[in-house]
Amino acid sequence: MECRVLSIQSHVVRGYVGNKSASFPLQVLGFEVDSINSVQFSNHTGYSHWKGQVLTADELHVLYEGIKLNNVHHYDYVLTGYTRDTSFLEMVVDIVQELKRANPNLVYVCDPVLGDHGSMYVPQNLYPVYKNKVVPVADIITPNQFEAELLTGKNISTEKDAVEVMDLLHAMGPDTVVITSSDLPSRLGDRFLVSLGSQRKVRPDGSRTTQRVRIEVPKVDAVFVGTGDLFAAMLLAWTHHYPNDLKTACEKTFSVMHHVIQRTISYAHKLAGPGRRPSPPQLELRMVQSKADIEDPAIVTEATVIS
Amino acid sequence: MECRVLSIQSHVVRGYVGNKSATFPLQVLGFEVDSINSVQFSNHTGYAHWKGQVLTAEELNVLYEGIKLNQVNRYDYILTGYSRDMSFLGTVVDIIQELKKANPSLVYVCDPVMGDQGAMYVPENLLPVYKEKIVPLADILTPNQFEAELITGRKIKTKEDAVEVMDLLHAMGPETVVLTSTDLPSKHGDQFLVALGSQIIVKPDGTKTSQKICMDIPKVDAVFVGTGDLFAALLLAWTHHHPKDLKAACEKTVSAMHHVIKRTITHANEMAGPGKRPSPAQLELRMIQSKADIENPAIVVEAKVLQKSSH
Repeated sequence: MECRVLSIQSHVVRGYVGNKSASFPLQVLGFEVDSINSVQFSNHTGYSHWKGQVLTADELHVLYEGIKLNNVHHYDYVLTGYTRDTSFLEMVVDIVQELKRANPNLVYVCDPVLGDHGSMYVPQNLYPVYKNKVVPVADIITPNQFEAELLTGKNISTEKDAVEVMDLLHAMGPDTVVITSSDLPSRLGDRFLVSLGSQRKVRPDGSRTTQRVRIEVPKVDAVFVGTGDLFAAMLLAWTHHYPNDLKTACEKTFSVMHHVIQRTISYAHKLAGPGRRPSPPQLELRMVQSKADIEDPAIVTEATVIS
Repeated sequence: MECRVLSIQSHVVRGYVGNKSATFPLQVLGFEVDSINSVQFSNHTGYAHWKGQVLTAEELNVLYEGIKLNQVNRYDYILTGYSRDMSFLGTVVDIIQELKKANPSLVYVCDPVMGDQGAMYVPENLLPVYKEKIVPLADILTPNQFEAELITGRKIKTKEDAVEVMDLLHAMGPETVVLTSTDLPSKHGDQFLVALGSQIIVKPDGTKTSQKICMDIPKVDAVFVGTGDLFAALLLAWTHHHPKDLKAACEKTVSAMHHVIKRTITHANEMAGPGKRPSPAQLELRMIQSKADIENPAIVVEAKVLQKSSH
């Protein structure tokens, strides 16, 4: 398999977020990963302390120029996630547009990280950039419910709302949308959350078809960091292998997540000791230890095809 | 296996040198790798063009401070390679000394990158820093012949010279020394180069001895970049699994290198086309594609034990 991904995300010295979370899994699955580190921090910002440096939009451009001057700016995928800087995000858009001109088949996988649980945790001025510039060039997006609602201006109270929101997102650009988590009630009870996916395809005769799926995902009683980044990377990998079968791509992706998270929470509790809540360092994803699950995930979550 | 490595090396967006070369192999072998990127360049400097940014000694210190403030400055291994900045190297020394205080069992694997084929390709003022500060802290050292000669001030013309130079390096600090390549003639002919290794072993009665080994490695007609970084990372991994058996550790390391290099040159020649020399971009190591060989290298090079001598 010759498949090259350009991933523009954070780097942390210790732990698994951003490029640290995305690179290893993609590499073990056989993808060549070129990575531009948007920041270099000691660790993620959920620890008591964090220190490091950020890349400016200019410096991003300089790095891209290096790749271009050598005529190696040919990518099959671009992957982006958490950003805090509008000029950086706009430079990313310019780069994606140029890469799409170099390879019209390029697939841009975008996690439109804006916030969660009803509030934004990036500067507000990123919102119009995502809405007007980023999402329109994205092919696959992985918003959570809050981000999907923010981007479309429509609230999700029922599954029907979610389907409408995903259709609105398709109309903005991406043919594949996965709402990674929602507050919708799961038919399996309150120990589960509901995720939804939608993939729009054009048939040979020119007509449009949409496959929609719902996934019941077991909740875990802990706050993980880097799971969204891992999710987007794995969705890239599994939609690559199943480009016309969102159901299977989602089953593999959500199953991998489950294995990594289970291994992580077990280990975190061991480290913390009985009755104690694990700390952020203890909750770092057990990425390296989950290599076999990443390579060949046993399917533990089933996706249901809905209307 | 719970083993955490701090690797302080370059990052390139595209290709495999520095941390890009070292991280993936160590991760697939089960090591936790914390990586501080000393630079971020678009690609290595053997391409027609390269662009990017460097980390200052101060910025390195800031990153380390973050790790320390969270009390997670505990490592089993440190790994360093190519550096061009004397003050950066000085800060690296400070960090290693502090990490060794935090964990006295820490193993510092050092590739003392200074030059090759008779010429230095880093600033000259790095030599005294390596000689006086870095090498004394190192536990495992992977110099080529030129670097070993520079550090010890002694030339290598025969195997006996090489043995003496490795002993001089032991006396400076590292218990394990691998001369990754030399000009010594191989008994297999001129399509092979000679590499040597030496490891100090403490016997049960407390006396010291050393295991010295020699390997004949097939030459490949191409210039690779990042192979030294891969070598040091793999030697870290295999000496971890074979801490008292340098022969086994080197056989695995050199064999894995061979598989990666063969896969790389085959692919590069395919991409370049018949009769054309592959470009630097085409010669990037086929790292991802070599995962199985990295995880479990078939042994294709045998190390010969030279002698056991007491010290």
